Amino acid sequence: MAAHAAHAHPHGSHGHHDEPYYASKGSLWKTVMSWVYTVDHKKIGVMYLVAVLLAFFLGGVFALLLRAELYEPTKTLADGTVTGQMFKGWTSAQGEVTSNNIYNRLFSLHGTVMVFLFIIPSIPAALGNILLPLMIGAKDVAFPKLNLMSWYTYLFGGAFALWALIGGGVETGWTFYTPYSSTTNWGNVTAMVLGAFILGFSSIFTGINFIVTVHKLRTPGMGWFDMPLFVWATYATAIIQVLATPVLGITLLMIVFERVFRTGIFDPALGGDPVLFQHFFWFYSHPAVYIMIVPAFGVVSELLAVHCRKRLFGYRAIAFSSLAIAAISFLVWGHHLFAAETPAANAIFSALTFLVAIPTAIKVFNWIATMYKASISWNTPMLYAMSFLFNFTIGGLTGPPLATLATDIHLTDTYFVVAHFHYVMMGGTVFAFVGGLHHWWPKITGRMYNEAWGRVGAVLVFIGFNMTFLVQFILGTQGMPRRYATYVEMFEGMHKFSTIGTWVLGFGFVIHLLVFVLSLVSGKKASANPWGGLTMEWEAASPPIEHNFHREPLMTHGPYDYDTAVPPHCNEKDYPLPTPKPGMAMAH
Amino acid sequence: MSAIFPESVLMNPLLASEDVGWWTRLWFRAKASTFAGETDAIYNFIFWVSIAFFVVLMFLMVYWGIKYRRKPGVAPEISPSHNTPLEIVWTVVPTILLFVMFVWGFKGYLNKAVSPVDAEVIQVTAKKWNWTFEYKTGAKSRELDRMADMDVPVFALPLNRPVKFVMSSDDVIHSMFFPEFRAKRDVMPNRYTTMWVQPTGKPTHTVERYDNGKKLRLAPLDSAGNVITDMAERAGKGYNLFCTEYCGDQHSQMLARIAVLAEADYKDWLDYQGDTSGVPLNVLGEQLYKLQGCATCHSVNGAKGTGPTWKDIWGETHKSTTGASATVDENYIRESILVPGAFVREGFSNQMPSYQGKMKDREIRALTTYIMSLNDKFKQDAQAVSDEEMAKQQGGSGSTPAK
Repeated sequence: MAAHAAHAHPHGSHGHHDEPYYASKGSLWKTVMSWVYTVDHKKIGVMYLVAVLLAFFLGGVFALLLRAELYEPTKTLADGTVTGQMFKGWTSAQGEVTSNNIYNRLFSLHGTVMVFLFIIPSIPAALGNILLPLMIGAKDVAFPKLNLMSWYTYLFGGAFALWALIGGGVETGWTFYTPYSSTTNWGNVTAMVLGAFILGFSSIFTGINFIVTVHKLRTPGMGWFDMPLFVWATYATAIIQVLATPVLGITLLMIVFERVFRTGIFDPALGGDPVLFQHFFWFYSHPAVYIMIVPAFGVVSELLAVHCRKRLFGYRAIAFSSLAIAAISFLVWGHHLFAAETPAANAIFSALTFLVAIPTAIKVFNWIATMYKASISWNTPMLYAMSFLFNFTIGGLTGPPLATLATDIHLTDTYFVVAHFHYVMMGGTVFAFVGGLHHWWPKITGRMYNEAWGRVGAVLVFIGFNMTFLVQFILGTQGMPRRYATYVEMFEGMHKFSTIGTWVLGFGFVIHLLVFVLSLVSGKKASANPWGGLTMEWEAASPPIEHNFHREPLMTHGPYDYDTAVPPHCNEKDYPLPTPKPGMAMAH
Repeated sequence: MSAIFPESVLMNPLLASEDVGWWTRLWFRAKASTFAGETDAIYNFIFWVSIAFFVVLMFLMVYWGIKYRRKPGVAPEISPSHNTPLEIVWTVVPTILLFVMFVWGFKGYLNKAVSPVDAEVIQVTAKKWNWTFEYKTGAKSRELDRMADMDVPVFALPLNRPVKFVMSSDDVIHSMFFPEFRAKRDVMPNRYTTMWVQPTGKPTHTVERYDNGKKLRLAPLDSAGNVITDMAERAGKGYNLFCTEYCGDQHSQMLARIAVLAEADYKDWLDYQGDTSGVPLNVLGEQLYKLQGCATCHSVNGAKGTGPTWKDIWGETHKSTTGASATVDENYIRESILVPGAFVREGFSNQMPSYQGKMKDREIRALTTYIMSLNDKFKQDAQAVSDEEMAKQQGGSGSTPAK
């Protein structure tokens, strides 16, 4: 790491106990090997972080290209542009590429890369690996070697996906609906599906590890309700990962069987039922939506508490609603099939879907109530937390029109759905992830980033995101179907506006990238607790030592006791404590 | 910016047949079925509930964010982190509102799902990448319009009368979506699915006779109900039919135009579409080429597509993927239409669905004649075949010039 090279601690003379976890091991070879064979949760987390950021970049490039394709109703990138020629060259054995095919591959690869390689591992595997043991005062996760295996499984699955990509990609959409996916002879569906199958194991390993870690390795004195909400969220996510991912694995394997052995489970030509696939697929993939968003709830809870310097409103309500959402998420998959299924099934799934809305709404109310009489710092992580609340409220409130049967029949498979899930997945999870990255950046790297430019990036990303997706709700209600390489002229204005939004969005992310690179090269050294956080990761050094803490940390205060505790490594002058009013209950 | 926003970003130009306010136009463009009004009302209810929550929440976030911004060295006040009555209120109130949405939405959905018994049945066949409506008389549409750079079929529906679609797919899952009717249903390869609509409002088209009354075509109406006479203005009028389940390469061009007609016009149109006997073979062939979905895969200008181009194909000799060779003639075309997998030309894969039982004998002859006419060397022959067949139809009393 560049940061390390710039200010390495002297080696040898001191014991390695005081060195940062990423310290050099003497020679380059030894240092590289110390990463390759590491069982340190922080190093594994950092490797995951680099990998998911690369996946995010790749998926982002696909997104920019597919939006560029939609700038004109029927003219395409393939017509005469350099990019078009490049994409025409990116072909496979099935003959010449049509321009629609280029778009179809772009949206499929955007979805597949973003879902399986980026969002699912983003917060749990990258931030979660680094932070979960630190937050509960543990030395590492419960099964460090399983953790390393999860990382290499991810790499292996990623390699399959990359192989599929280079060999022409896929054009089935990330949902792989049968019988299209089981009969199309374009591209590398089998390789991509196997890649997703392998990635599922990586997700299961991480999930098992986190469940056991939370149960067994909390520092003495830390009860369940002393855990930071990020830990609660990661725990709820881990349960979904372990219970739901096997179903996806089996389903994807069945597609491979269908393609290779013609088993006839899904393909009507062989006696199968294509809608069965949709049930199987969404039985995993709807809970997977919560694998993607619940960790973001945890991140935002932490960002709000620290940067509002305030006990979170309704701690238990937030913790339990994470678990409630995890439980209900298993019962709502049928709402993806309202246009395919019968009224009786639809009525049940519609009702169950509304149940999810209640704990979700409660969370938003709690987060906003936390800001009442707080001490709010308008820095980059807090800007991201507030952007999250803005976007996620829109994403959440556009859920009911899709859960309501009469309106969903009109809106399903249109841009309304595209906008809705981007407001949740991107406006929610990605915003929380980027906010969390800024928040824990000093802890992970030991360096501060440039706050002013961080804010500029945050504002641009917020504006670009909303330009891109807000207008897509109206495209959807007016009837613009999703996954369309071409469209009728009446939608042109809104499509152009949306595409211009992606340029602003991309520019914002470029600024963030520069800010992070500059921080690694020449950032100010971070103190152990630059934001005045009370959770346990701020008691460790920045960056933490290999074993996280010099001795087992003790619970001396709750994770959000801002009313009564001065943050570790901080001065009371900077973080003055309020004077309790007489008679005010201070109970946790 | 006028190049970027030719009309305006959000508002689409008025349709001929609608009578709705700017609010409906902004969100839904038009409203043209019996249940569209209820769908819009439910949508608006959810919309305004959402706006109320959103505005309150965002106001508090920004207001408190500014009011309680951090001041160095100043301790925040102690404030409660729990308030049971407040928490009960913000749990119960959304629950009630969500319950209303569910019940109203289910009721509205049942209206869409259960068709009236007297609905006229139209058989819908979806395949990659084309829609076919077969009306109760056996008639199929022969009218075309231009959408997203494709010639797509125009299907007429009767105004103020329920029609029920019995739908099936020849290959993968498709989905039939009428935005102006707020109706959608998946079309499956292994079972029939149904949906129904009753178009309301004003007719979008009427029918007109031309070519000395021998021919009949749809004529779009403007918002005042007058026939649009300028031919350049006629394209793109009426409602849309979109495929909304991803089905491969030309998914985005699997479209059709919907024309809503007054009862008498509808009957005239149906009668005319049903009788193709007066249409010369080469002309009918060209119509079928566009209406039966051939055009999505086979070009007529030499461009390579999913299937071989038809330009100059007649009389050529080709190799198959298995190494056999054959010359393109009447038998070759017939076999390719009915058993597409029997001879797959080298460089292509077997993607084509069979048209067995979906085309009448004369329609196959029409396509054959049309393909023949696409090779300049055989153009005269194709014309002669058409003329001769026309003459035979009319009892051998001389030939009728085609077009």
